[in-house]
Amino acid sequence: METRTLPAPDCNSQRPPPLPAGKMVARRGKRGARDSEPGIPSPPGYSAIPIKFSEKQQASHYLYVREHRVREGTKSSWPQKRTLFVLNVPPYCTEGFQVAYVVFQKPGGVSAALVLKGPLLVSTESHPVKSGICKWISNYADSVPDPEALRVEVDTFMEAYDKRIAEEEAQAEEEEGVPDEEGWVKVTRRGRRPVLPRTEAASLRVLEKERRKRARKELLNFYAWQHRETKMEHLAQLRKKFEEDKQRIELMRAQRKFRPY
Amino acid sequence: MGPASAGAQDRGTAGGPEVIEVALEGTAKEGKKESSKKRTLAGCPVEGLLQPAKLTRAELYKEPTSEELNRLRETESLFHSSLLRLQVEELLKEVRLPEKKKERIDAFLREVHQRVLKVPSTPKTELTDQTWLPAGVRVPLHQVPYTVKGCFRFLPPAQVTVVGSYLLGTCIRPDINVDMAVTMPREILQDKDGLNQRYFRKRALYLAHLAHHLGQDPFFGSVRFSYTNGCHLKPSLLLRPRGKDERLVTVRLHPCPPPDFFRPCRLLPSKNNVRSAWYRGQSPPGDGSPEPPTPHYNAWVLQDMTLESHMQLLSTVLGSALGLKDGVALLKVWLRQRELDKGLGGFSGFLVSMLVAFLVSTRKIHTTMSGYQVLRSVLQFLATTDLTVNGISLCLSSDPSLPALADFHQAFPVVFLDSSGCLNLCADVTASTYHQVQHEARLSMALLDSRADDGFQLLLMTPKPMIRAFDHILHLHPLSRLQAACHRLKLWPELQDLGGDYVSAALGSLTTLLEQGLGSRLHLLAHSRPPVSEWDISQDPPKHRDSGTLTLGLLLRPEGLTSVLELGPEANQPEAADFRQFWGSRSELRRFQDGAIREAVVWEAASMAQKRLIPHQVVTHLLALHANIPDTCVHYVGGLLDALIQSPKENSSTGEEALAAAVRCYDDLSRLLWGLEGLPLTVSAVQGAHPVLRYTEVFPPTPVRPAYSFYEQLRERASLLPRPDKPCPAYVEPMTVVCHLEGSGQWPQDAEAIRRVRAAFQLRLAELLTQQHGLQCRATATHTDVLKDGFVFRVRVAYQREPQILREMRSPEGMISLRDTPASLRLERDTRHLPLLTSALHGLQQQHPAFSGAARLAKRWVRAQLLGEGFTDESLDLVVAALFLHPEPFTPPSSPQVGFLRFLFLVSTFDWKNNPLIVNLNNELTVEEQEEIRSGFLATRTQLPVMVIVTPQDRKNSVWTQDGPSPQTVFRPPLDMYDVLIRLSPRHIPRHRQAVDSPAASFCRGLLSEPGPSSLMPVLGYDPPQLYLAQLREAFGDLALFFYDQHGGEVIGVLWKPSSFQPQPFKASNTKGRMVMSQGGELVMVPNVEAILEDLAVLGEGLVQAVEARSEKWTV
Repeated sequence: METRTLPAPDCNSQRPPPLPAGKMVARRGKRGARDSEPGIPSPPGYSAIPIKFSEKQQASHYLYVREHRVREGTKSSWPQKRTLFVLNVPPYCTEGFQVAYVVFQKPGGVSAALVLKGPLLVSTESHPVKSGICKWISNYADSVPDPEALRVEVDTFMEAYDKRIAEEEAQAEEEEGVPDEEGWVKVTRRGRRPVLPRTEAASLRVLEKERRKRARKELLNFYAWQHRETKMEHLAQLRKKFEEDKQRIELMRAQRKFRPY
Repeated sequence: MGPASAGAQDRGTAGGPEVIEVALEGTAKEGKKESSKKRTLAGCPVEGLLQPAKLTRAELYKEPTSEELNRLRETESLFHSSLLRLQVEELLKEVRLPEKKKERIDAFLREVHQRVLKVPSTPKTELTDQTWLPAGVRVPLHQVPYTVKGCFRFLPPAQVTVVGSYLLGTCIRPDINVDMAVTMPREILQDKDGLNQRYFRKRALYLAHLAHHLGQDPFFGSVRFSYTNGCHLKPSLLLRPRGKDERLVTVRLHPCPPPDFFRPCRLLPSKNNVRSAWYRGQSPPGDGSPEPPTPHYNAWVLQDMTLESHMQLLSTVLGSALGLKDGVALLKVWLRQRELDKGLGGFSGFLVSMLVAFLVSTRKIHTTMSGYQVLRSVLQFLATTDLTVNGISLCLSSDPSLPALADFHQAFPVVFLDSSGCLNLCADVTASTYHQVQHEARLSMALLDSRADDGFQLLLMTPKPMIRAFDHILHLHPLSRLQAACHRLKLWPELQDLGGDYVSAALGSLTTLLEQGLGSRLHLLAHSRPPVSEWDISQDPPKHRDSGTLTLGLLLRPEGLTSVLELGPEANQPEAADFRQFWGSRSELRRFQDGAIREAVVWEAASMAQKRLIPHQVVTHLLALHANIPDTCVHYVGGLLDALIQSPKENSSTGEEALAAAVRCYDDLSRLLWGLEGLPLTVSAVQGAHPVLRYTEVFPPTPVRPAYSFYEQLRERASLLPRPDKPCPAYVEPMTVVCHLEGSGQWPQDAEAIRRVRAAFQLRLAELLTQQHGLQCRATATHTDVLKDGFVFRVRVAYQREPQILREMRSPEGMISLRDTPASLRLERDTRHLPLLTSALHGLQQQHPAFSGAARLAKRWVRAQLLGEGFTDESLDLVVAALFLHPEPFTPPSSPQVGFLRFLFLVSTFDWKNNPLIVNLNNELTVEEQEEIRSGFLATRTQLPVMVIVTPQDRKNSVWTQDGPSPQTVFRPPLDMYDVLIRLSPRHIPRHRQAVDSPAASFCRGLLSEPGPSSLMPVLGYDPPQLYLAQLREAFGDLALFFYDQHGGEVIGVLWKPSSFQPQPFKASNTKGRMVMSQGGELVMVPNVEAILEDLAVLGEGLVQAVEARSEKWTV
């Protein structure tokens, strides 16, 4: 049997796939089904299974489970019929409340799980689950890095990367100056006459340069109408500022900001 | 009488607002404009949010009317900006007396006038026979010594006139006082009444009789005594209307002698009018030495004689000049915000009015000036003229019999003569008060000239109480101690002059003493003025000691605070004796390196915190030595908060030294990095990026020396691990250092590949540092931890172009555009903004040594309020930096205490909704740029975070407040009600000893006190409460908020989010921790609280002691 946890549909962070939930469900699943009592309310289409961390706890959370189905035609990475869709997996199984997809080997597992009555226990004497201090210490120990492993990972990646880049370059060199079927020749950075890279910033720079060149040639305040317009522009600025100032004053008055003490 | 003549002026003042209204309407004449005004305003009061002005093109570009042009021109020439003009107008509207109230006051004044004239006469008695006074009233004067010659009888006043600001139209709200001069008839007074307080005794008896009769009149709501301007020889009678108008106005009756009764020449400052034989009960020393002059006594008599002539002068000058009146009103507000106007020797509204009159007479002020210009001119004059050296005079007469200014300078510290040339208007003003006024004027002028800030707000609307204005404060209490001080200082002539007011008598000498002693440490010394009290007419007047405490404020010079040495003259110089006399037993002969043998005082102070408190040592030493004031009477407020930023085991330092040690170690490391051989690319920059490296970490790190037996050892990776059976080990936070590598064609242009190359560099860095310098290192893909001298640094390799590569997006047409992504922003923040900020604040600390302490107190406070999560470290640092870079209207703090108090004030008053906080690091932003930032802010306000902090490097985004605080955090009331409290076990709180209430005992954290070999990497960044919080927020972030003080907090506060507790319909994406219930036949989801409460305990197993549900709010 294979089990994996996925982030909730609305959340896009990646999580390591923790296992205890699946294990536990599976273990109980083998034990077979009793009739579920209609006592626990559950949303339509789902069954509710109470779940607790261990015997010590009084109250339980509820897993809401149903068979994993998708609309016709949509692709799903989960096998049909054999997958159980679980909502509200408690935080001691994973990080935060999660959604899980549990894949059973046989379709029977799903139907067995759907009629589970619970309450399920996450941590038992035979299968203790770490939490709190113990968990944090083991997390810390796991986080102490192994430089060798890192080096190997870096080297393998870079080897592949260098190979890919070399191939691309070789291909680009091959295509250099060769017209395509419509007769266009691709001009690249590496060719005999390199061009600017096609970036937004570069094109903006060119436009700006043009604008400045034009502005330099233009005479300012030369004609009477230009003069008039500059003055009017100044007045408009003042008006705008005045309007804003008035608004600010109005607001301050409303906040009684003019009471000096 | 007054009110009648006031009519003309009333009309004058009423004209003020009208003219302004007309001008305002001129710009808003057209109906269209009116509507546009309404439109722009409509949205804003609702949310209280400013929006950029929206005007149509037609409105912006229509032909201007002549009124509009006039107003614009006027604004430009008379005011600073249109905003300032509008603000000043609004303020004047707020403080000026409305017409309606004036009418009611006038009616009341007429009644008072009539009633005062109707008080019946009494038969003549000896002055010492006061049996005629009815039982319900006490003489409002301390008659010491009691025996005095002369007779008294009460006769109705010869004249009752309104004097003072009410008539001039310069009195300002909220407390409206109307002064009335009550001229005693000539028959009451006798020839020699100027002598031995006889005049003052009669004046007091006159008031007592008036008080008795007016007190029985049901017309008055209250009849009480007070001291005129705090002068103990001159009581006045306060009358208030009955009923709802009781708080409308206070009429103050001042008895005064008939005009020309006393001859001014007998009241000159060099004359004596209180005989020693009478006052001290002993004949003057037989050797014929002259009687001491009584300048203050004389001035008080003269003041009573000149009430009316001053009034006439002021009404001629201010008469019809609206601008001058506005100016006086503004100056009064200015003085009041600085607490300079009250009490004996205060810089009162009357004084500034006279000053305006003086400046008009010298043509420095013109009657057509606006109020703002008058304010400016007066401030300019005050800032540049030292009246303690060069007095001024309103007197135009060249009569040679009048005394010279120099004579007045001998008798008074501050000199400003009235038009008679006999009276010093500043008789009671101390040199300290005047210097404080000058200091304030200089600050204000600098502010007005800088243009950058909202001058109006800072100048006129920000109160400057002593506690926020001065670096250190000291209270002298009880005041009766000053009586002994006067004797020690041999101030008997002063006591004789001041009628026994030992507080005023001692004040001058004490301030001079302390100014001399504090020397280069001191920038300014100010003192509070005893408050003017009121008392019931049936009670004895308050004594000098009843005026509470005397508060002194010290403004320190940071550069003077570094020295522990007071260098005296060489031992063989004559001045050496003076030095020894001044410093007493503290002065010692010392040989200096240059071979000189000098007198010197050395203070005990090792750390910066102790050096900052040397003024405390100086003050207590000098006060005890010279004024007989023991240190139990000196309550020094300078380092009270220091304990909160002292490390748990160290109480002599506030951590600056420890931070400096860490920074030195960082400097060494950065040198090593620069000089590293064998890196394929060279290091182009090494920058600190951690609060320690900008001196703002609340608790500085100490070198770590782990005791191995306390840990699990992971030998093959040279690391230590925590052990479950031990208390959790000491918290060690690695200090982030960003190491930029040079740009090169070698770098790949692909984000994934860059990540690997960086990882390779991290590995290489670790190798090289170990090989070449023997440092223990641990490399990961993103950083290399380096253990150096017990400090742990986290070196992050950075490539300058990486953020840009993360931003690159390729459009389908192959165009590469740059778009911010969360990853690029994060990287940019960590590798560009953070190092820049760190280095700028590091620089700030070098300039302002108090920055570190203030920033750390501020952070400590925010975290102790359990609000730490909402504010990033950097945002708080920047807010405190703003206090140092933009201290206006104050000066930059020189003590952490005052910095912290201003932080609290800023946080409690700053209008984040409508203003960005601009922190102009290194002064890089010009005024125009700041203007641009403000308007940009308004335009995009709704997309910006709650708090917006702008720096020269971060002009738009406010990087450090992007993720919080949330509006709830900023505006939540002081918190004492949490829904759930999670109590933690101190055993697993690594920073337990940092708690505000320092725990009596805590746990061993596996550290050695002696330096030992430390080749294994200590446990880094392992803080169970933080790990726990992260898990809680991850799991229950939708349902609740979690609050915790990272500095040793033992409890986590949990608040349920009310919105999450609303029953919701079932949604697959939203089941987190909820359960389905049927409610009213419908299936809804509610949080499964019982189970969640148990989860809290499960997730924190070992750390959590108890989970207490404190409210029943969640039971739906």
